[in-house]
Amino acid sequence: MLNCKDVAARASALIDGELSGWQAMQMRLHLAMCRGCSAFVGQIRQTRDLTEAALREGTAHPGDDARLAAILARLPDQRRGV
Amino acid sequence: MRNRIDDERQVPDLLASGDRATFERLYRQHNGAMIRVCTAIVGNRAAAEEVVQDGWIAILQNIGGFEGRASLAGWMFAIVLNKAKSRARRDGRSVSFDAGGEENSLAAAFDGRGRWKDMPELWDEVTPERILAGRRVLDHVTAAIEALPPAQRAVIVLRGQHGLDPAEVCAALGISEGNMRVLLHRARLAVRAALDDLL
Repeated sequence: MLNCKDVAARASALIDGELSGWQAMQMRLHLAMCRGCSAFVGQIRQTRDLTEAALREGTAHPGDDARLAAILARLPDQRRGV
Repeated sequence: MRNRIDDERQVPDLLASGDRATFERLYRQHNGAMIRVCTAIVGNRAAAEEVVQDGWIAILQNIGGFEGRASLAGWMFAIVLNKAKSRARRDGRSVSFDAGGEENSLAAAFDGRGRWKDMPELWDEVTPERILAGRRVLDHVTAAIEALPPAQRAVIVLRGQHGLDPAEVCAALGISEGNMRVLLHRARLAVRAALDDLL
């Protein structure tokens, strides 16, 4: 039987779908009975989603256009395209 | 969907033929993550920008040799990260991706029987645009990512990058899947702790 510490250690693997069927079932059994772990796994899922959203938002940087032009300028003519 | 997949298959050929729009799309999709990961590896943003710029040139020069054994994104990140690792070696810098030994932010959260000392509660009100302590939640998350140790930062950025599967993240960083999982979980625990402190 998993305790709360075990469940917390496997929370990322659970939400990423990386546990075996048996491991995932042990987790779900514990989560069905433990409000704290259930909340914690929810927090880790929100953390994953917020992290991905923050990284997507931070994709563009000031100066990107200039850097893009600099890369294209360093290529031989035939690769520059239109 | 099928059209989209067919389009994706054409990307390497379009890139090899010098299609500027295709290059721009890939650049805007991946450049930010490349700079973040390379900053973690080489230690400063200016050097990372140089490395990534050289990486893009190498990608364009070598795209004709792309054989489709990895995804295009996996192949591109592998090229850029190899350049970052070479640069770090040249600068006498090394980043340890060893996952052993390090404590995480939950070390003191459990009693002797592995039960929560303080039960976590649901985050009902944590939304990306909510303002906490004067900043949006997403800005707090960005700051927490920037504050992570380099190896954790590299892993969480790559795992959040569309088009890279976990095996490609491991290959690009030269680490095992077990190590990658431990580093990713620690990184999420640290970001979670930063948010939890604000609530």
